[in-house]
Amino acid sequence: MRSLLRRTGKEGSLANNGSGSSLFGFALSLPPLLLVLGFVGIPILIGFTFSLGFTKGPNRVIAIIGQQIHPKTHWWGTFAAYSDVFHDSRFVGDLVLTLAVTAISTVLVIVIALAIALHQRLVGGRTASVLATLSIVPLFVPVVISAWAIHTFYGGDGFMRSFFANIGINFPTLTSTSTAIVIGSVWTSLPFSILMISSGVQAVPDALIESAKDCGASTLKVISTVVVPLAQTPIIIAGSFTAIGIMGSFTIPLFLGPNQPTMLGVEISNFFGSYNRPQQSLVMAFIVFLAASGIAVLYIWSNVKSAKENGRI
Amino acid sequence: MRRYFNPSKVALNLSVFLLALFILGPILWLGVHAFVTDWKYPHLYPSGLTLNWWSKVFLDSALKTAIRNSLIISPIVVVLSMVICLPAAYAAGRMNYWGRKTFMITLFSANSFPKIGLFAAIATLYYTLNLMGTFLGVVIIQLLGTIIYMTWIPAAAFASVPRYLEEAARDAGASKFTVFRTITLRMAMPGILVAIVMSFLASFDEAQGSYLVGAPTIYTMPTEMYSLVQNYPIQVAAVFSILLAIPSVLLLGLARKHIMGGQLAEGFQIK
Repeated sequence: MRSLLRRTGKEGSLANNGSGSSLFGFALSLPPLLLVLGFVGIPILIGFTFSLGFTKGPNRVIAIIGQQIHPKTHWWGTFAAYSDVFHDSRFVGDLVLTLAVTAISTVLVIVIALAIALHQRLVGGRTASVLATLSIVPLFVPVVISAWAIHTFYGGDGFMRSFFANIGINFPTLTSTSTAIVIGSVWTSLPFSILMISSGVQAVPDALIESAKDCGASTLKVISTVVVPLAQTPIIIAGSFTAIGIMGSFTIPLFLGPNQPTMLGVEISNFFGSYNRPQQSLVMAFIVFLAASGIAVLYIWSNVKSAKENGRI
Repeated sequence: MRRYFNPSKVALNLSVFLLALFILGPILWLGVHAFVTDWKYPHLYPSGLTLNWWSKVFLDSALKTAIRNSLIISPIVVVLSMVICLPAAYAAGRMNYWGRKTFMITLFSANSFPKIGLFAAIATLYYTLNLMGTFLGVVIIQLLGTIIYMTWIPAAAFASVPRYLEEAARDAGASKFTVFRTITLRMAMPGILVAIVMSFLASFDEAQGSYLVGAPTIYTMPTEMYSLVQNYPIQVAAVFSILLAIPSVLLLGLARKHIMGGQLAEGFQIK
């Protein structure tokens, strides 16, 4: 229905509206576009030139304030700051931790969200809606609070340790370990994935599921050959948003993670603020950006593919 | 379809219990600390109950300033975001202009740069523009986080308003403006409402950027939490957390039906 409307709308605009409406639409989209270009695009570009050692113009002030600045040595700049970062043994540990936490947390989030969504779709009932409602709760809690709450819950004086001590089990202090970062990341990322994936799984037509069952397919077979492939786009969207979010996260690893190694989000902030080495801080930001871009491409590809299948392009 | 034999039922109940413990445990644990004198390992009960921590928060001028700043900045950010983004959302949802898809993807790409790195890059620019530690600087930082919600979700909502309803109203003699007000806008309202709630929360809860740009002159409630957890006992942080969570719980409670009804999920699929 929607795709039909959209398609007729598209043809309509090509036929009657001409360039006037097109120009008007473009004009309406300018304010947010200019804001993003001005305060995201330009700072990133300027930041990139700064990471290459361009210390004049808009980078003049930061180059005076910061320490261990490498000014450019060639016309195109210098890789000195990049070399600093890659020769810093802490950076390698941070990068490994960041990628590992991102991968593990994203897989956990998607598995849990998919399990709850499938249960809701195939079994339903009161338990299913209790599960769905529970998993939305983190959406209601600002991340600073949830990070601190998880910090105290799994900490030395926390509930988990006290409770297990009373039944004679020595529960480990998870706070300040990388496990706690995974716990926090899963906790905060769950609602968005549940909403995306369950809306995708709900959209799978009953007729398809029923007919697969009539042909003798087991529940597992129905899930793997009918439901999951049809809900693929929302699953990929959920996964890429979750991974990008976790990769650049700051508050969760700051409150929950170890001091060393830490996730790059915290290290970028440390280098910018505490160590006053803005150039190296930006270098790390570009490395995380590079990794996040790879995931973003997956997201865009998945959207374009689904739009093509539905005949919208 | 439902199964009644025991093992799967036990497994199901166990997973509900574990999820409840995982999700609710930490917030309940922090919440009760707002009302206890002390609670040490390995006791299952606190040493005593008290309301003293609440007066401590309400008498502390730094904490009061942070609360006031948050309550001033966030509404301004949401209104600005609506003025800037809603016309663009309408265009993206209803018009087929040149570069529409590029527009949506550009907004998304802006979101995929790691936040803290972006803030470091923006801070570099802010030094030059003299926006460091200013009210306007914090507003702009928080505004950036709302754009994706305020364009994508309303765009999907505008796109899903059936054209034939508008045409029917036009045929019945309604003016263009009346059609827009009574049909298009009204039918897109749930999506716009979800966008407003998500934007308000994105702004109200934004901590990293506001801290990097605002501190040490401007503190909002979330940025105050960073110093709070280091300098005050956990009970004060618990009280402050409850205060900080009130707007989220109220607003999301209002919009819960629409968010769970798929308005949010709908908005995140580029069409």
